[in-house]
Amino acid sequence: MKTSNSYTAIAYLFLAPALILMGLLTFWPVGYNTYLAFQDYSIADGTATWNNFANFKYIANEPLFWNALKNSALYLLIVPVIQLAALVVAKMVNNKLPGMTLFRALFYIPVITSISIAGVVWANVYKYDGVLTWLLQSLGLIHDQVNWLGEPSIALYMLMIFTFWKGIGYYMVLYLAGLQAIPSEVEEAAILDGANAFQRFWKITVPMVKPTILLCTLLSTIAAIKVYLEVIVLTKGQADTYTALYYVYDQAFRNYNFGRAAAAGVVVTFFCMLLAVIQFRFFGDKK
Amino acid sequence: MKLKKMLAVGAVVFGFAAVYAQADTELEFWTMNLAPKFNDYFNKSVADFNKANPGLTAKWVDMNWDQIQPKLIASIAAGNPPALVNFNVPWVHDFAAQGNILPLDQYLGAAKNTYSVGAIKDVTVNGKVYAFPWYNSVSIIAYNKDILAKAGVKAAPKNFDEFVKDGQQITAKTGVPAYAPKLGNFVGWFYYAGLPVVENGKAVFNSPKHIAFVQKFADLYKAGVMPKDVFKVEFEQEIAAYNSGKIAMMTTAPQALKRTETDAKAVYAKTGVAKFPVDAGKMAFGAWLMDFVIPKGTKDPAAAAKLGVFLTNDESQVAFSKATETTFPSTKKGNLDPYFQAGAKSADAVEQGRAVAAQSMDNARTLTIPPGVLPDEAAMNKKLQDEIQDAVEGRKPVKAALDEAVAAWNEKLKK
Repeated sequence: MKTSNSYTAIAYLFLAPALILMGLLTFWPVGYNTYLAFQDYSIADGTATWNNFANFKYIANEPLFWNALKNSALYLLIVPVIQLAALVVAKMVNNKLPGMTLFRALFYIPVITSISIAGVVWANVYKYDGVLTWLLQSLGLIHDQVNWLGEPSIALYMLMIFTFWKGIGYYMVLYLAGLQAIPSEVEEAAILDGANAFQRFWKITVPMVKPTILLCTLLSTIAAIKVYLEVIVLTKGQADTYTALYYVYDQAFRNYNFGRAAAAGVVVTFFCMLLAVIQFRFFGDKK
Repeated sequence: MKLKKMLAVGAVVFGFAAVYAQADTELEFWTMNLAPKFNDYFNKSVADFNKANPGLTAKWVDMNWDQIQPKLIASIAAGNPPALVNFNVPWVHDFAAQGNILPLDQYLGAAKNTYSVGAIKDVTVNGKVYAFPWYNSVSIIAYNKDILAKAGVKAAPKNFDEFVKDGQQITAKTGVPAYAPKLGNFVGWFYYAGLPVVENGKAVFNSPKHIAFVQKFADLYKAGVMPKDVFKVEFEQEIAAYNSGKIAMMTTAPQALKRTETDAKAVYAKTGVAKFPVDAGKMAFGAWLMDFVIPKGTKDPAAAAKLGVFLTNDESQVAFSKATETTFPSTKKGNLDPYFQAGAKSADAVEQGRAVAAQSMDNARTLTIPPGVLPDEAAMNKKLQDEIQDAVEGRKPVKAALDEAVAAWNEKLKK
C-alpha cells in the first residue's frame, strides 16, 4: 500500500515536465523582470546596478505612462460587454437545431485568425473611406467620412470593437462547456414551474456557470489590461490609443531601457493581480 | 570496426581542415535581410575578395535586422565579434557613443574621398568616421500625368513652396488628394526644411519659422490635399493609394514604381517622374543609409577594414545596386555609372526614377536625431508626433501644440 507521501511524490513527478517548462519560461522571466525593475541594466555589457527605485520614480512622473495606464484601464469596459455577449451567444448556439455547428464555427473563426491578418482587414473597415463609413452613409446615419482610427475621441473604442469581434468566440466556447455541464432537468423543471426564458437565463444559467464566469472574466480582464497587439496592428498608438504595454515595449525596444520597461511591466502586473483579487472576492466560492 | 575506422579518418580529415582554416584569417561579415535573394552577389563578392587577398577569408552571414544588435552585443561580450556588421545610421551613432565600434579614419585613407559628402556626414560622430557607407536610397516624386494635366500643373515642383502650391491646385481643380507624404518622423521634416530641433541641450522647434512650416501641413490637411489618414500612411499604404488613383503623386523611394509597374499597369502607363524638391536644409528627402562598422574587440581591424573598403568601393556598390535594382551607391562615382544615368531620357518610369534618384544622392542625408541626444527618445518622439498630429489635423493651434511639445522635451532634457 502506498503512503500519501509517496503518492504526492509521484504526483509531482508527473507534474515535473510541465513545472520545469513553466519555471523556465514563465516564473524565471517574471522573477528576473522584477529584479531588473530595480536596476540600471546596460545592454552592451550585460551589467545591472541597483538604482534606488529610479525607474519607478521616473515612470511615476511620466504623464505618458499614466495616460497609457488610463487607456488600459478604459479598455476594461470591454470585459462586462464581451462576457455578457459571449454567454448569450453560447446560450443561443447551445441547442440541437441542425446547422448549429456551423454557427459555432463561424463565431470561432476570428479567434483562430492571425491578428496581423485580421488587423489588415479591419484597417480597411475603419479607413475613413472604408467599409464602416460606407455602411453608415448608405444607412443615412452619418453624412461625412469619419477617420475612425484617427480621432482621439473614438479610436480606442474602435479598437475595443475589434477586440470584441476577435475574442467573443473564445469565451463562447468556454461558456458552452459550462452550459453543457448544467443538467437539463433543472431547466425543464423551471419550464414546468412557468419561468420564462429571461428568468431561466438569470436564475438558472448565470448562477450555474458562475465558475466559468470567474474564469472568463479573469482572462478577459488580464487580456484587456495587457492589450497591445490590437494597438500595434491598427493604430501604432496614435490618436490616444497608447496603452501601458505599448509603453513597456517602447521603453524596452526603442530606448533599450530594459530596467524602466521592467518597472512599468511590474506596475501593470500589480494592477492585474489587484483586479484578480477583487474578482475572486466577487465571483469566487466563499468558504 | 568499420565505424571506428570511419570515425578515425573523419577526425583526421577534420583536424587537417581545422589546421588549414586556422592558417587564414577569417573575416566574418554580417548583413541584414539580404539572403537568399542576393546569394549570387555575395558569393561572387566573397570569392573575388578571397582571391585578391591571400591569407584572408571573408565569410558572409545574413540575419534578420532585429537579431543583429543582440547577437553583436553577445559576441562582443564573449570576445569573438565578427569583422564587419551591417548597421543603419542611428545604430552607428548609438554604438559609437557607447564605444562598442571602432573609428575608421586610420584605415580609410584615400578611400574616404570616394564616398559622397552626405554619406560621410551621416556616419561621422564627434569628428570621426565610424562606418563604411554602403547602399542608400532617396525619395522621388512619381505623378499621375492625367491628374496633373487636368489640374493644369505643367512642371514638377522645384522647391517645397511650389510643392505645396501644386498640391493645393491639384486638389482644388480635381478633388483628388495630391499626395500623402510620410509624416511618421516629423523631426526629419524639420531637418529637411533646415530647421533645428535641439540646440545647446534645448528643444527649439517652436520658433515662428517652425510654426509657419507646420502650418503649411495643417493648411494642406484642411484643404484635403492630404488624405484624412495621412498619419497612418507608410510605404505600403502610399503605393496602394497611388496605384488606385486615390492620390495624384507618390513621394517615396523609387522601388515603389516597380510595384506600380506590376500591380497597376494603367496607372504606370501615365506615370511621370521628378526629383523630390530640395528645401532650405539642402538635403534629399527619404534617405536611409546602410553601412558596415567594425565592432570593438575584432581580431584584426586592419584586415576587417580591407574587407569594408572592398565591399563598399565603386565597383562593388554599382554591382550591388544592379543586383537589387532599387538601391543606390553611396560613392560619388558610383551614381554616375551609365547603369543609373542611361534611363534619364527613357519613357519608362522605373528607368527614369533610377536616374532621377541617382542625381539626388549627393545630398542624401539620413534625417534623424543622433541617439544619445534625447534622454527618452521613445516618449519624446511620441509626444512630438502626437502634438504635430493634433496640430495638422486641426484639433489644436500649431503654436500651442509646438509649445507644449517643446516644454515636455525641455523638461526631460533638463534632467
